[in-house]
Amino acid sequence: MELLMIFISAILVNNFVLYYFLGICPFLGVSKKIDSAVSMGLAVTFVMTITAVVSWMINHWILIPNKLEYLQIVTFILVIASLVQLVEMFIRKISPPLYQALGIYLPLITTNCAIMGLALIAALKEYNFATTVIFGIGSGVGFTLAIVLMAGIREQLDVSDVPRPLKGAGIALIVAGIMALAFQGFSGMIK
Amino acid sequence: MNVTARMIFVLTTVGLISGALLATVGMLTQERIDLNKQREIEAAILQVVPGTQSSQTVFEQDGITVYAGSDGQGNLLGYAVLASGTGFQDIITLMFGTNPDLSVISKLTILDQKETPGLGANITSRDMFLKYWDNKDSVNPLTLHKPAVRTAGELGPGEINTITGATISSEKVLQIVNESLNAVKNLNNEGKLEKEDKHGR
Amino acid sequence: MAAKSITQEYLKGLWDENPVFRQLLGMCPILAVTNAVINGIAMGLATAFVLVLSSLVVSSIKKLIPSQVRIASYIVVIATFVTMADRFLAAYFPPLSKSLGPYVPLIVVNCIILGRQEAFSSKNSIGRSMIDALGMSTGFILALLTLSSIREILGTGTFLGHQVLGAWFKPWIIMILPAGAFITLGILLALAMFIEQKTKARS
Repeated sequence: MELLMIFISAILVNNFVLYYFLGICPFLGVSKKIDSAVSMGLAVTFVMTITAVVSWMINHWILIPNKLEYLQIVTFILVIASLVQLVEMFIRKISPPLYQALGIYLPLITTNCAIMGLALIAALKEYNFATTVIFGIGSGVGFTLAIVLMAGIREQLDVSDVPRPLKGAGIALIVAGIMALAFQGFSGMIK
Repeated sequence: MNVTARMIFVLTTVGLISGALLATVGMLTQERIDLNKQREIEAAILQVVPGTQSSQTVFEQDGITVYAGSDGQGNLLGYAVLASGTGFQDIITLMFGTNPDLSVISKLTILDQKETPGLGANITSRDMFLKYWDNKDSVNPLTLHKPAVRTAGELGPGEINTITGATISSEKVLQIVNESLNAVKNLNNEGKLEKEDKHGR
Repeated sequence: MAAKSITQEYLKGLWDENPVFRQLLGMCPILAVTNAVINGIAMGLATAFVLVLSSLVVSSIKKLIPSQVRIASYIVVIATFVTMADRFLAAYFPPLSKSLGPYVPLIVVNCIILGRQEAFSSKNSIGRSMIDALGMSTGFILALLTLSSIREILGTGTFLGHQVLGAWFKPWIIMILPAGAFITLGILLALAMFIEQKTKARS
């Protein structure tokens, strides 16, 4: 029950993009087409889930028992960087079209604050193993939801008459703001 | 030197230097960081169990920590209960004080919250919320007085005022307090709150 | 490459290549910590500390690092300085550290920092890299200050905690909510774009 709550709250109430402001770069960069948004969302969800598992193990089996918490930032970032490399190789092997579609953004997952943020927030909140994994999946789904919704809106925006200075990032951020406001409505639904 | 060897050498050196630096920084700051945490808890205990000269942890489990506050002579003044739970937006961490037999809540303080600024975040405001928690009869679970009243005198002995526009946040705080108080009462009945170990501090 | 004067090297970070308004980098911290000016300043200084020192180290050891492991080495260097900043804040400014939460450690994935190492410090002299890092930091701090001032003044009627708007002012709570961050930054970006388009049209 508690796990379900964490899951739903990671998707809707404390959405990674709209509440924690994590993963803004891909959120703005890869949200022009629904297809690529979906693939980006899936890639992030996948990496997030693995990161949740691996970072928990490192934190609880290596860092905390040895009182090495101050190495958290260095180890997490290195682990994430290597994980992303692996995922990249994996996707290139099994699905070249997908690899083509995600292009430059896959390596960028390394410096995607959402992944690092996930590892840090889970460590900060002292979640146990099961909770961390659920939190990881939920956050990934939340990210996917936000980026896909955004892509849907932006496909419409393409054919709308947007004032010239607002084109691109400007209007995208304002749309994100309205989405954040809508998501605010989900607060308090977790009893 | 060939490239592979050089790569390994450079990475190891960078890693070692960074590790050494971090270990130094880690050691230099650890003590102060622990001290900050301890100070924060102590300040909160003093706030909710006024007059506390020394405090010790008597119970710590399942997200609830109970501290016993005593005066200079070692007489028990009351308990300070540290608990947390889900709020409107995120986790709320709070501490409340009780008298020794847990029949009165003396004071409440909020340690950590991320409620909506300007609405739910008012649970940290003494004037709007916390003052209504002073000296409440806690024999029975506390209840929320809705709609909000203007003065503490209009509230019953076990009633808490609601924040206008932040009913859910008020309810969540009440829920955390009632649940943890209930848990602490059970502990007390089982005799687990006896000051078993004196080595606290 | 036509050498820029030192002043130009510094000034480019303020506007022409402003990391936030022109390059759209460092969006996470700029949105997340700008609900109060003090948070914005702390985040700006912490980022500047990491950026300047990382640039110093990277530009001094650039010749020693084989290019295959350069990103990994930069990340370790950056993470080391980020950890220092994080521990320092936690030890000496606990309330600030608490309100910034995970966003201080997250400086490590701030694209501005790795971006500058890769694009500038790894190719330029120590002096120039420092000037560049200082310029970028100033640009970043300016952006943080602008956004956090707007949000704090309109959202709570205060500036650095001091009441600046009279009692008549009803705070716009939306400004300190996530939605306010997005919308304000969106408008600021449009404004920056507008100014840029006007200057271009004129020249």
